[in-house]
Amino acid sequence: MANSFAGFFFFFALLVSHGIVELEASHHVFKNLQTVQSTASTNQPYRTGYHFQPPRNWINGVMVYKGLYHLFYQYNPKGAVWGNIVWAHSTSQDLVNWTPHDPAIYPSQPSGINGCWSGSATILTGGKPDILYTGIDPKNRQVQNLAVPKNLSDPYLREWIKSPKNPLMQPTAQNQINASSFRDPTTAWLGPDKQWRVTIGSKINRQGLAILYKSKDFVNWVQAQTPLHSAKDTGMWECPDFFSVSVSGQNGVDTSLNGPSVKHVLKVSLDDTKHEYYTIGSYDNVKDIYTPDKGSVESDSGFRYDYGKFYASKTFLDSVKNRRILWGWINESSSVADDIKKGWAGVQAIPRKLWLAKSGKQLVQWPVKEIKKLRANHVSLPSKLLKEGSVIEVSGVTAAQADVDISFEISDFEKAEVLKPSWTNPQLLCSQKGASVKGSLGPFGLLVLASKGLKENTAVFFRIFKSQNKYAVLMCSDQSRSSLNQDNDKTTYGAFLDVDPLHQKLSLRSLIDHSIVESFGGGGKACITARVYPTLAINNAAHLYVFNNGSEAVKIAKLNAWSMKTAKIN
Amino acid sequence: MTKTIFLVILQAVISFTCLPVSYSASDLIETTCKQTPFFDLCVSTLQADPRSSSADVAGLAHIAADSVNAKATATLNQITGLLKSAGDPNLLKALQGCVDKYNAIIQADIPVAIEAIVKGNPKFAVSSATDAANEAQNCENSFANPPNSPITDSNKAVHDLSTVLESIASLLL
Repeated sequence: MANSFAGFFFFFALLVSHGIVELEASHHVFKNLQTVQSTASTNQPYRTGYHFQPPRNWINGVMVYKGLYHLFYQYNPKGAVWGNIVWAHSTSQDLVNWTPHDPAIYPSQPSGINGCWSGSATILTGGKPDILYTGIDPKNRQVQNLAVPKNLSDPYLREWIKSPKNPLMQPTAQNQINASSFRDPTTAWLGPDKQWRVTIGSKINRQGLAILYKSKDFVNWVQAQTPLHSAKDTGMWECPDFFSVSVSGQNGVDTSLNGPSVKHVLKVSLDDTKHEYYTIGSYDNVKDIYTPDKGSVESDSGFRYDYGKFYASKTFLDSVKNRRILWGWINESSSVADDIKKGWAGVQAIPRKLWLAKSGKQLVQWPVKEIKKLRANHVSLPSKLLKEGSVIEVSGVTAAQADVDISFEISDFEKAEVLKPSWTNPQLLCSQKGASVKGSLGPFGLLVLASKGLKENTAVFFRIFKSQNKYAVLMCSDQSRSSLNQDNDKTTYGAFLDVDPLHQKLSLRSLIDHSIVESFGGGGKACITARVYPTLAINNAAHLYVFNNGSEAVKIAKLNAWSMKTAKIN
Repeated sequence: MTKTIFLVILQAVISFTCLPVSYSASDLIETTCKQTPFFDLCVSTLQADPRSSSADVAGLAHIAADSVNAKATATLNQITGLLKSAGDPNLLKALQGCVDKYNAIIQADIPVAIEAIVKGNPKFAVSSATDAANEAQNCENSFANPPNSPITDSNKAVHDLSTVLESIASLLL
C-alpha cells in the first residue's frame, strides 16, 4: 500500500497530502434560475477572515485532494443560493492560504447534465487520482460517474475529463436501487483481494444503507451482495465516510489497513435530522461488512463530530503529516433574504485533525496546527479566581477575529446541582438553562462577539452537575442573544463533555471569525460550531469576556488569546 | 324495462369500477395532509390543483410549492401596491423589507424547493420551505405596531402554506 502511494508522492514535488478528495453534500444544478445576482452590499461585517469561503455565492461541501492540498467544493457562480452548481477548485500548501483555480467539473454529458453532485477522489495504485461523483441524468435519476485528470503533469490538476463510460453505477430494475436515494460515493479503499471498494449512501424505505460496489479497474463496478452497513429507522444516509483510525496515538492511517492496530469508523449524514453521526467498529474485509462496537449507534445516543451547525463533512488522509483531517460545511443561520443581500452563503470549518480518544469510544478533533501561524498579539491572563457574577474583558486582541484558549479548575464540588435523570438531551438542557440562567457550578465560560454592555453576545460555557457518584459536564453554545436581528436562527446548541472535572481541568478553545464561532471542549472531545450575525458587536466594536454566572467561584487556570491575521483565501 | 334496468346496472358497474381511482387519490391527499399542521388548508390547496388526482407524494409536494409561489407572488403585488401610497416612514421601511423577503421566497426558496423535489434531495425542499415560512413571519413581525401590518392575512397564508410544504417535503426524506 505504501509503495503505490510513494510513487505519487515523489512525483509531485510539493506533495503534501494523501489525496483523498471528496465532495460533500449533494446539490442540484439549476439551469435558469438562481441567478439572483445581488448588488451585494459593500458593507460586509460577516465575511470571515480565516475560514475558507469563496468571494461570493454558494459554497457547499468541500473536497480535499492529494498532492498539494486541493479543495473542490460545490459552488454556484451565479447566486447565493443553490443553482448552477459546479465543482470549484482551490489549492493550498498549508491549509490556511489558498489559490483559486477554474471550476474543475460541471455538467457536460448526459449522466450529469442535471447536476454534478457530491463525490470523492481516490489515489489509485501508481498515484493517479480519480474522482467518483453523483450525477443527475436527463431523467433526474442519481447515478455515479468518473472523472480523471486531463493532465497529470499539471501540479494544480486544473482540468478533468469525464469518462465516456459514465454512468458507471446506476439504479436499474434488477438492483432496485431508489433513483432518488443513491448518492455521495466515498473515497475507495483496497481489499486484500486487490479490488477497490466504494460505498454510496442510500435507503430502502426508512432503512439507511451504505451500498457497496467493488471493482478491479475503477471503471467496471459490481454491486456487493450486502451493503457495507445499514441501520433501521435512520432514513437516507448522505455523505458516508468510511476510514480507519489508529487505536493508539494521533496518527492517521489508510482505510485499507486492518487488524488489531486499527478501528474503523463509518460516518453518515442523516437527511432527516441534518445531523451527522459516526460509529466506531470493526471491518471484516473478506465479507466486506462493517459492524459497529456495542453501544456505538447512528443516533443521538451515539456521537456527532459537532453538536452545532456542521454537515456534509469528509475526512482525508494527509500521509505527509501522518494525520487524518476533517472538513465540514457550515451553512448560514441567517435568512435567505439576508444571504441574497450579503451576496454569499456558506463557509468551511477550519480543518481539524481527527483521532481516536484513549477510551476508544469516541473521536477527538482539534484545529490543524497550521492556523497558529495566523496568531498575533498574544494576550495571557494570569491564573485567577473567577467569582460569582464576574465579567472580565480580554482586551488587546481583535475580538471579532480571534483564537482563545482557556482552562478552568474547580476545587469545591459540594454545591453542584443535581442532574435530573430526565435531563438526557444536552441541546434542550442548554436551551432551558442559557447563560443568563444562574447556576451553582456554572454557567462559566466565554462571551464572544459581544457588544459593550452585552446587549449582544454569544456565550460558550460549561455547567457542572452531580450525576450519581460522578460529575457531568454540560457544554453549551448559546446564540439566543447573539444578534438584535430577529430574522436569524438563534438556536442554542449543547453537548455533554466526557471530562472528569474532579481530576482534570476543563478546557475550552474558541475560534472566532466575524460570523462563525467554533468551540472545542476538553481538547476536542466535544465540538460546537455556530453562526451568528451581530449588529452591534462588529469588527472593532466586538468584545471578548470571561464570565461566571454561577454562585460558586471557579479558577481560571490559564487564559491565552490571540488576534488572528487574515488569511489569503481567494 | 329490462333494458333500462340493464343500463342502470351497467352504469352502476362502470361508476363503481371508476370509483377506486379517485378514492385512492383523495386517500393519499388525506394521509399526506394529516401529517401537516394545517389539514384543511392542505386538502383544499391540493384538491384545487387537477394534477393532484394522479400525483404521488413528490407530486403533491410540487403542487404545494406552486401554491406557495402563487400566494407569495400575489402578496408581493399587494406590497408593491401599498408602497405606492405609503407615507408613514415606519410603514415604508417595513414594506420595503417585506419586498426583499418575498423576493427571496419567489426567486430563491420556491425554485430551490422544486428542484430538490424533482431531483431527489428533499432536505433542501424542507429548508427552503422553512425559510419561506420564516420570511413571511419576519415580514409580519417587522411592522412596528403602530402602524399595524396591512397584510396580516396574506403573511399568514404564505406562512401556513409554506409549513404545509415543509411537512410534505419531510415525508420525502
